[in-house]
Amino acid sequence: MEEIFKRGVLTLEGFENVRIFIGKIEEEEEEWEPMGPTPMPAISTIRSWDFKLLRRYKPFYAPFCDFCCLCTFGKCDLTGNKKGACGIRMDAQQGRIVLLACIIGCSAHCGHGRHMLHELKRKFGDVEIDFGPEVDIEAPLTRLICGIKPRRISDYERVFDYVEEELVQLSDALHTGQEGSYLDFESKALHVGMLDSLSKEAADIIQMAAYGMPSSKEGGGPDVPLVEVGMGVADTTKAVILVIGHNVVPAASIADHMEESGHEEEIELVGICCTAHDVTRYKPKAKIISALGRQLRVIRAGIADVIVVDEQCIRADVVESASRVHSPVIATNEKAMHGLEDRTDDPADEIVEDLVSERVPGVVILDAEKVGEVAVKTALRMKDKRRKMRIILSDEEFQRWVGECIQCGSCTLACPLGLRIGEANAKAASGNKEALASLFDICVGCGRCEQVCKKNIPIIDVITKAAHPQIKEERGKIRVGRGPIWDSEIREVGAPIVLGTIPGVIAPIGCGNYPNGTKDAWLIVEEFASRNYIVTLTGCMAIDAALWKDEEGKTVYEKYHGRFDAGGVLNIGSCVANAHIHGAAIKIAAIFARRKLRANYEEIADYILNRVGACGVAWGAMSQKAASIATGFNRLGVPAVVGPHGTKYRRAFLGRSDIEEDWIIFDARDGSEVRIEPAPEHLLVACETVEEALPMIAKLCFRPSDTDRGRSIKLTHYIDLHEKYLGCLPEDWWLFVRTAADLPIARRDELLKRLEDEHGWVIDWKRKRIKEGPLRGYDPSFDPTNLRRLIRKK
Amino acid sequence: MRAREVPFDIANIPGQETGRIVSAEVAAALISASHRPLLVVGSEAMRDEFFVEKAIEMGEKGVAIAATGKSIRGFMRKGYKKVQYFNLHDITNRLRDPDWKGIDGNGNHDTVIFFGILYYYASQMLSCLKNFALNPLIRTISIDRYYHPNARFTFPNIESDEEYKKMIEKVVELVKR
Ligand code: SF4
Ligand code: SF4
Ligand code: SF4
Repeated sequence: MEEIFKRGVLTLEGFENVRIFIGKIEEEEEEWEPMGPTPMPAISTIRSWDFKLLRRYKPFYAPFCDFCCLCTFGKCDLTGNKKGACGIRMDAQQGRIVLLACIIGCSAHCGHGRHMLHELKRKFGDVEIDFGPEVDIEAPLTRLICGIKPRRISDYERVFDYVEEELVQLSDALHTGQEGSYLDFESKALHVGMLDSLSKEAADIIQMAAYGMPSSKEGGGPDVPLVEVGMGVADTTKAVILVIGHNVVPAASIADHMEESGHEEEIELVGICCTAHDVTRYKPKAKIISALGRQLRVIRAGIADVIVVDEQCIRADVVESASRVHSPVIATNEKAMHGLEDRTDDPADEIVEDLVSERVPGVVILDAEKVGEVAVKTALRMKDKRRKMRIILSDEEFQRWVGECIQCGSCTLACPLGLRIGEANAKAASGNKEALASLFDICVGCGRCEQVCKKNIPIIDVITKAAHPQIKEERGKIRVGRGPIWDSEIREVGAPIVLGTIPGVIAPIGCGNYPNGTKDAWLIVEEFASRNYIVTLTGCMAIDAALWKDEEGKTVYEKYHGRFDAGGVLNIGSCVANAHIHGAAIKIAAIFARRKLRANYEEIADYILNRVGACGVAWGAMSQKAASIATGFNRLGVPAVVGPHGTKYRRAFLGRSDIEEDWIIFDARDGSEVRIEPAPEHLLVACETVEEALPMIAKLCFRPSDTDRGRSIKLTHYIDLHEKYLGCLPEDWWLFVRTAADLPIARRDELLKRLEDEHGWVIDWKRKRIKEGPLRGYDPSFDPTNLRRLIRKK
Repeated sequence: MRAREVPFDIANIPGQETGRIVSAEVAAALISASHRPLLVVGSEAMRDEFFVEKAIEMGEKGVAIAATGKSIRGFMRKGYKKVQYFNLHDITNRLRDPDWKGIDGNGNHDTVIFFGILYYYASQMLSCLKNFALNPLIRTISIDRYYHPNARFTFPNIESDEEYKKMIEKVVELVKR
């Protein structure tokens, strides 16, 4: 009864799935803010915003395949933008595939969140959401999109209901004979991107609340502890449990069981990917062994005495690969059972016996507590057994294998990076392992090469063996995922970010499908943190950036502070924690600019697009989740740069700085139309190399609202990075100059001269002012918007 | 060279139309016959000065050059100025627009030559041009050491760097403008 009065929820015994909501909730919600215009928007609700974005950032398509084979009318050849039998053109078909990718990505986050909600409510009850004194806006995306201020984790039932319904409608739009316009496919993809950001926030809030992960309570935020990271960190004198995936529930249960059973000191709990992030947020004694790119190599290196997989980004051949090195596998999630027998209801000791005797290569256990017990017992027994085995290649075996190579080049054609493995083998055969060892970090560990090798050379093991000395030394430090940015931090930095004096928020996120190894991740962080940008990382990139050290032996997490402030390097956490980066941008609009937050997506996105100099960087984007994540950033007005593999997503959102009408927006003060500089120039763009990406990222932090001081700082970094890495002034630097005060202070005269000589601008040299030339002058009270309805005086 | 050439990234078989393999001589003849060729030089050209030098020689013969990725640095080091940096996505996006004014402001290009570009990025951009730059048609020629099915004309996969350099030398030597 108490619950009915307190929360307006009635659950009847025997009908646990039936929940009756009483009007009280609505009343309570009225108290925090009046409902905005678009609570729980449907597909078409914010379509007009999408179309504004799509008009400026026109979808660019690079088909990965010229056919469509989705129905029995086909295959249809769409080459040259032809139509298929159903009437769909190549461009719309590309939009359709992008939508499909985004739906898969969003489903992964939503499914993950829903699963955790079930599990954690059962385990901990309906936990209250309280992230401490510095976080009042606990769920910016939930408030913004749904108009809900969640108080307990069960409030997310409604949020998931909403996302799931939308996902069904959106999947429906993929059917043959539904949507036919590429623009509408993209609008739908942007809608999914938004739902994806909401799902991530939901999932992270649920796990943070239930496990007490870092927030603004004691020891959280910038004060989170450092944990060890790298392939060299596992102490193999102990039994090693390796967890892989994204759903922390089983891993947390293992950590609990280690403590409860008193085996904490005998076991190393190490993880790959986001489960590793999240288990260290729960128990900082755990270690992060690698990001996704090293998964197969970590498995094949035989470090693990037992491998526990949950969901997402797990290798489909995990059981086969693990069996080769006698590591039993426990699959813990219905979505990834890998053909193993479901032993959930069997006694733990029986399961352990079967795993240790290797009667079965692995089992499914869908009860997280039982996973904890079985993993701990199995690891302890497997350790004794496995330490007597020799798993990595001996020197003789290595030499024999590299000698077998006939340099046929088949592996190179199979390798997604075109690595010239044969050449490296030849060098190793004559005694120089360096070339082979240098492939270790670049290789993305896919295993495609081995399958085509005519000599059956275990190429991954050969590369790993060559790189063994460097792998042993791979030991870094990473701050554990801190979760949300504090409201108090936003109050401090909201103004400098919007004015541009903190030149930008850079968000390296996502997977490890890099073009040239993990060092690029480090370089991106180092360049921007040292220039006083705020760098917020999540997922694999957060891990990979920690593998490299400066001359003093410090990783970026040791070198830079963890506050959301100039020069900070913040590990936000796993992929789902990534929502807190959106959250920070939203909070700038809500806290600093006092924009209405509740169910007011379009206005907040408009604010962010025009004022918050943030840029996502998914340098190794690989998965469908990365597609939905980037698209979610884009709908909110945040551009993203991807690595060259990102072109395989087929679609980019590219602006055209040379087309004037694309850059006309309103001044909200009086409705006048203003031609702005291309800021930000693109919403989604790929760069070829990191050297190109660095100035591009800096450029995508320009916003029309920058003050002259802010613009001058941003321009300084853009020009400096361009000169440092590309060896020349950028072609388009002058486009961003509105007044002499926009110019980098140290080079004002030189650049004024260039404006005069090369661009025909008229300069008043006495007063060092620009008299004629720029696209527009600088007006400190300019109030940029793309939304007509926000014009105050018409 | 194999009897039937395979894409450098072996699964990259896009569909019905796949690039025709040409020799250095034919590539040079195609470039010579074009009205407004554009040489797009990517980051891989930086792996050996030779490639930047050869690109400059093409430039000196009157072929416009766009430097993508980090290759602009190579031209700057040589003090060569008749080149503009572009992001590869950006320039491909412009090329597919018949109204684009081209790198020199004189109108879009009719022939685009890809040189020194990361295989998979180049492949995607060639796919865009193949599928969407049709009216008027832009002819794409890849003179990289990879078989590029998405190009209209392409070299085959070339194992030996020496052999490849000879081919590039020949192309540059034979191009007439
Ligand atoms: S495992 Fe590494 S070397 Fe082998 S194909 Fe994949 S990326 Fe290339
Ligand atoms: S394209 Fe991606 S999902 Fe498909 S087989 Fe390759 S790695 Fe797996
Ligand atoms: S496929 Fe095997 S034999 Fe051929 S080059 Fe590669 S490693 Fe050597």
